[in-house]
Amino acid sequence: MTDNKPLTGGGLLFKVLEQHGVNHIFGYPGGAIMPIYDALYDSNIQHFLCRHEQGAAFSAVGYARASGKIGVCMATSGPGATNLITGLADALADSIPMVAITGQVPTAAMGSDAFQEIDIFGLSLACTKHSFQVSHVDELEKVLHQAFEIALEGRQGPVLVDIPKDIQMANVEQTFKIAAPLKNKVKLPLADISKALDLLKQAKQPILYVGGGVGMANAVDEVRIFANKTGLPSVSTLKGLGALEASDENYLGMLGMHGTKVANLAVHDCDLLIAVGARFDDRVTGKLDQFAPNAKVIHFDIDTSEINKRRIADAPILGDLKENLPLLTMSLEIKNWQAKIQQMKKDCAWRYDHPGTNIFAPAVLKAISDLMPKNTCVTTDVGQHQMWSAQHMSFDAPSNFLTSGSMGTMGFGLPAAIGAQISRPHDTVIAVSGDGSIMMNIQELATIKRYQIPVKVVLIDNEKLGMVRQWQDLFFDGRLSETDLADNPDFVMLAAAFNIKAKLITKKSEVTAAINEMLDHDGPYLLQVKIDAADNVWPLVPPNSANNEMMESA
Amino acid sequence: MNTTNTMNNYSLIIMTDDKQVVLERILQVTRYRGYLINGMTAKVNTGNNIATIELFVSSDRPISLLTDQINKLVDIKSVRVDNNASMLSTAKECSA
Ligand SMILES: Cc1ncc(C[n+]2csc(CCOP(=O)(O)OP(=O)(O)O)c2C)c(N)n1
Ligand SMILES: [Mg+2]
Repeated sequence: MTDNKPLTGGGLLFKVLEQHGVNHIFGYPGGAIMPIYDALYDSNIQHFLCRHEQGAAFSAVGYARASGKIGVCMATSGPGATNLITGLADALADSIPMVAITGQVPTAAMGSDAFQEIDIFGLSLACTKHSFQVSHVDELEKVLHQAFEIALEGRQGPVLVDIPKDIQMANVEQTFKIAAPLKNKVKLPLADISKALDLLKQAKQPILYVGGGVGMANAVDEVRIFANKTGLPSVSTLKGLGALEASDENYLGMLGMHGTKVANLAVHDCDLLIAVGARFDDRVTGKLDQFAPNAKVIHFDIDTSEINKRRIADAPILGDLKENLPLLTMSLEIKNWQAKIQQMKKDCAWRYDHPGTNIFAPAVLKAISDLMPKNTCVTTDVGQHQMWSAQHMSFDAPSNFLTSGSMGTMGFGLPAAIGAQISRPHDTVIAVSGDGSIMMNIQELATIKRYQIPVKVVLIDNEKLGMVRQWQDLFFDGRLSETDLADNPDFVMLAAAFNIKAKLITKKSEVTAAINEMLDHDGPYLLQVKIDAADNVWPLVPPNSANNEMMESA
Repeated sequence: MNTTNTMNNYSLIIMTDDKQVVLERILQVTRYRGYLINGMTAKVNTGNNIATIELFVSSDRPISLLTDQINKLVDIKSVRVDNNASMLSTAKECSA
């Protein structure tokens, strides 16, 4: 702030953001948020102008997921605010800490159907962890601190703060205070560790089932120590990928609809399931009553409402994973089970041999995974390319694989990669996208151009909404309704229009050199990889089937 | 999770901070999680600004699924199932 100006609500916002260690925000201005953008002009916080508010929201999500810090985005009232909603919903569904600031029409105009007035506070109820509408400048400071506190506390999530324009402009009368210490609302009963210990010792065929909660709880080390010490065969959800080391011989990969065969068979056969920060999502369980049908369940979670929601837990353990998991860490006598699993694992290994000269997407993604530098952060969009990435790439940490898990939002990948790259300027960031998904937030190429963000985009191009096409072929008699994208724009030319280096490859023989060229390039790069439109993601657990009823070909 | 297909009646006593939006949040969560609202009362204690909401719901889902979700709402002080009242609301079902 320049000293001669009194502190306004807008200025206060940036002071509080700075107190919470915010260095970067993503947003888009407009009438009802102009006083905040005016205050931004004097702030040390760096703002990234995205080209759509949904892009801003997803960049904030990517920023948060890649760095573990809170993501902040802002937008004007009305259409600006509604454009944030998909990003808020995505953050809620995947438990991502985010604070969204929206401008609102002046208090006196509220409720009059004013220009660009929408009840974003009302709209936020179903797509945020919590939300505030500020009714007086005197409460602004407290509300902003609470927003950070709530976003980060317990199971994390997005919080929206709607600030009417007159409050952004009002002089702050109160003296500005140092941030109050955060009070923790989570009251958790003591965990029943003894029951869990008994179950673990008695189990003959136990499985460790790891979810996104591990990364969110910052408990990757604890989970790896637990896995190593116990020798438990382990599986991961989509959001849990990276928590366990891919090189761990007992690790079996992802489970669920497009999980590995061995992961699904092992879970089906297990007699004890140790769920760690996972929530028995329908894409994981398949037909619920046939999921791990003979297993007892130990369920670690921070959120009481996840316990017994979809599967009754024999031993629920509520609370902080970091503290609770070490209490169960011990060596187990499960040699026979481990040996059986190893045999199954050998029998079900991925195969990358593929006839013809056409490029095989799983092999490309495997090659990128092998060639990319350590600590590369990969984002994906949604569809076949997403599932192939989850199956065939491996990640050092959950913060190195950002994908829209619960919401499955196409358009996530590119802006999330931008946010990830801004939070981690020295790491390589790769967005694996599809020819459908990339068009959902293609305008963010302009954000890449403006800030010269060196994101690498790998565009898996099947000229189709491939995942929907696959389901049409398998379950709707091949009636390919509205899934053809053969008339997509020339992506190399499109990238060139944004000053982004790009290349198209169509043959297997071009793959390795192209990946190396992309990784060696200093700035942003788009690699368009043409694949066969008919390629499917295997295995697949069909709808309403148990996970041991996987299809492995059409 | 459908453990049974019979509809059960429940009465919840919810204590909240007196914020206008809390009522909306409770109703939204209740509908979304699959509970029918048969009736409600809401009063504010002007002394301590705590609102007491009595909510009569029915569902084939266990009531803990709803109370856990209501408990997660930030402004909620407490929520409990009032077993006595639930008999009452069963008796009054036709008039609800
Ligand atoms: C915003 C949004 N709209 C629709 C869908 C439904 N959907 C899931 S995958 C998919 C196709 C994605 O096509 P593409 O990005 O080319 O990926 P591919 O499956 O071809 O690899 C669609 C339409 C979605 N997940 N998100
Ligand atoms: Mg496609």
